[in-house]
Amino acid sequence: MADLIGASLPRPDALGKVTGAARYPADLIQAEMLHLHVVFAQRVHARIVSLDTSAALRYPGVVAVLTAVDVPYNAYGLIEDDQPVLCHEEVRFEGDKVALVVAETPDAAAEGARLVAVEYEDLAAITDPKAALAPDAPLAHSRLKSNVLLHVPIRKGDTAAAFAEAGVVIEDEFSTSWQEHAFLQPEAGIAYVDEQDRVVIETAGQWLHEDRRQIASILQLPEEHVIVRYAAIGGAFGGREDLSLQHLLALAAWKLRRPVALAWNREESMIAHHKRHPVTIRCKWGATRDGKITAVEATVIADGGAYASTSVEVTKVATLFASGCYEVPNISVDGYAVYTNNIPCGAFRGFGAPQAQFAAEIMVTRLAQALGMDPIEFRKRNIYREGSLEPTQQPLPDGVSALPVLERCIEEASKHINVTRAETQTMPHLRRGIGIACGIKNVGYSFGYPEQATATVELNGKAELERAVVRLGAADVGQGTHLAMRQIAAEALGLALEQVSLIAESSAEAPNAGSASASRMTLMGGRAVYDAAIEARARWSANEDYYAEATVQYRPPQTTALDAATGAGLPNYCYGYAAQAIEVEVDTRTGQVQVLKVVSAHDVGRAINRQQVEGQIEGCLAQALGYALLENFQVRDGHVLTPHLSTYLLPTVLDMPPEIVPVILELADPNGPYGARGVAEMALVPFAAAVACAIHDATGVWLKQLPMTPERVLVAIHQAATPSSAAQSSKEQQ
Amino acid sequence: MTAISKQLMTFRVNGETRQVAASPTHTLLEVLREELDLTGTKHGCELGHCGACTVLLDGKPVLSCLALAIEAQDREITTVEGLARDDNTLHPLQQAFAERGAAQCGYCTPGFLVSGVALLAQNTNPTRDEIKAALAGNLCRCTGYTKIIEAVELAATRLRKEHEMTAST
Repeated sequence: MADLIGASLPRPDALGKVTGAARYPADLIQAEMLHLHVVFAQRVHARIVSLDTSAALRYPGVVAVLTAVDVPYNAYGLIEDDQPVLCHEEVRFEGDKVALVVAETPDAAAEGARLVAVEYEDLAAITDPKAALAPDAPLAHSRLKSNVLLHVPIRKGDTAAAFAEAGVVIEDEFSTSWQEHAFLQPEAGIAYVDEQDRVVIETAGQWLHEDRRQIASILQLPEEHVIVRYAAIGGAFGGREDLSLQHLLALAAWKLRRPVALAWNREESMIAHHKRHPVTIRCKWGATRDGKITAVEATVIADGGAYASTSVEVTKVATLFASGCYEVPNISVDGYAVYTNNIPCGAFRGFGAPQAQFAAEIMVTRLAQALGMDPIEFRKRNIYREGSLEPTQQPLPDGVSALPVLERCIEEASKHINVTRAETQTMPHLRRGIGIACGIKNVGYSFGYPEQATATVELNGKAELERAVVRLGAADVGQGTHLAMRQIAAEALGLALEQVSLIAESSAEAPNAGSASASRMTLMGGRAVYDAAIEARARWSANEDYYAEATVQYRPPQTTALDAATGAGLPNYCYGYAAQAIEVEVDTRTGQVQVLKVVSAHDVGRAINRQQVEGQIEGCLAQALGYALLENFQVRDGHVLTPHLSTYLLPTVLDMPPEIVPVILELADPNGPYGARGVAEMALVPFAAAVACAIHDATGVWLKQLPMTPERVLVAIHQAATPSSAAQSSKEQQ
Repeated sequence: MTAISKQLMTFRVNGETRQVAASPTHTLLEVLREELDLTGTKHGCELGHCGACTVLLDGKPVLSCLALAIEAQDREITTVEGLARDDNTLHPLQQAFAERGAAQCGYCTPGFLVSGVALLAQNTNPTRDEIKAALAGNLCRCTGYTKIIEAVELAATRLRKEHEMTAST
């Protein structure tokens, strides 16, 4: 059975998904359960003067209205407990929750929610992250002294001296916007109290044990009294990392001792769960005449919104990658995560890396052009190699494949795209251009955050091994991790796939694998499964029993927190490397950008399941295309203007490039199972910059703001065509 | 809002006749999921934007979140649960989706299958553009659509072979 690794095995869960038998959280809801409805604040920043539930309670069918006083510990968060379950005294963004109506029917719950009377006194709101940094800015949280959630400096070398000696220096500002995960399955779930007095939540998420930890903390219960089970999960992309409604279900079930259900509609999902951070990056890059990048200065400001979520970590990642995947001797970067009264921001595929490298990759291309060098050659000269020092002054973890990935990308691209010259345009107003960009993103948790995955493998067999049960609390959010874990176990044990079963869906039945995020599960979960399989097999061989088991906790090489003054440290244990070549066609009459071809190259270490790896790259490219061109999440004065899929546009099949070429390199990671490293986020990292470079190649204008909507493209083209264009060129397009 | 009383409705769903009491204000999606226990059809946006709730009404794809159940009476409704063939084997498009990795999270899959089956019922030799046109109303957030298009092409090839074999016997 030594051929399971790399095979494009079809997914066993596909059968239920193509027949309609797969049960997603909303499919678990029964009419006889109690139904919940959330009362949202719909205020950006306000003091709660009074909250009257009496009319709601009188409505037929309403059973209870839960408010802040019903929450045993009314604060939660992935990293910091700064978000109230139900607001007491103050609301800080429009999706804040103030009450939870419980009723016999969904309609009664909705009517009851409308009857909850909340009197507010509006407070000064802060919705501009730059303005939030001012010492006299209104505070997003009345209890805090400052809106600054994090300031992280990275210092290496002497930038001032390097700029003084540089042959070319370029300075500019870039801005990115919110992005909505828009998983097709809106948040939903059920909860009940079982016969052992444990509260059981059946829902979707990305990390069983972290959901359990936070819910247990809110209910002030021992963790063993809380069971989190995942039904089929309808996509995640980071958007299910924070609690959304899981804790509300748990609270209501625990309080009322009856099964409860809640399913959000799309608008509730859009206004209530966190988004990708909008980031502004002011940066200055310098290089020598012979093509070495010598200095990068940058200020990175991330709008964290009203609650901390994972903003601190996202901002550190964006700060680390402000100089991209290039070895730069002199660096001075300051990253800020800022509280505002906007929608909270948190994890989203890429986790700060796409924002930072949108700016970095454009700057690299512009430096090359200013020096009269080919941008590919310029990249090759500066790109990370084995032993290169990171901005944090330590060598990169082994397995640096940035250069071979770029080289392979160019090699493959030359078969599909004329990488030095775009194809001749068909019409005068349709202009074609080509863009190249590289990308780097950490695999796994960073900056000293505890990183581990634990797996149990149970073996049965007499003369030979007959079957294995793998226990690993890993969320299959759609990426196919459950099959990959079975492939790894079967390969390690020499069993057929059918002889290996996986138990992964319940926090009570499977050990903590960490989250399905940070492109980490194949490496981390897979390594834990591999190690547990080898250990269990050794135990089974060493005795006469027909049964053996082993539980192994895998810990990767230790990372460290960054030094508070210089950022020095070991930020990560593994990176993924990507490079893309993209051809676009720009309609100079409408500003419409059509992506025609994408070559997306990735070092995956080892493809455990090639079909699923391709699926990750292709699917990530669709989100990247939306991020670069289409998805325009608009917020005005703290109010979300695009809470529906008719105003927040996702790429359809018609928006996708006619030619997509995923290129998979397998340069083994030293720690990953069979050498595998993660890939899930990587295609999002270089994409927007590659498109911007292609637009520039086609039209001569630089887009510096995401998304690159037709209006922005058109404005940039018109500005370049007017006599005052020189003065306008480095200003922001609105 | 006063509760509107339910009334008896009769549906032809997936070849069976089903009678249920349902509210005349409820959508076909709600009645399929809540009264008929056909939860394969998914709710994605309730506003006709995402296509997850697509079903066939008399063979034509319809967004069940925008159709009133009461208006679907006496018409032939096909949901994802009814796509399998009479001998209980999967429809070639279901088979192709499973083989080709066209379902990742799978939540949009029922809607895509229904749209795709409607296309293949009319045209077993669709061009890429025809496939894209048929699927343009269905959103997928996981796959990037590549494998979905490939699955439709694979199913079309197999259907053509089936037809050739039937024709030659």
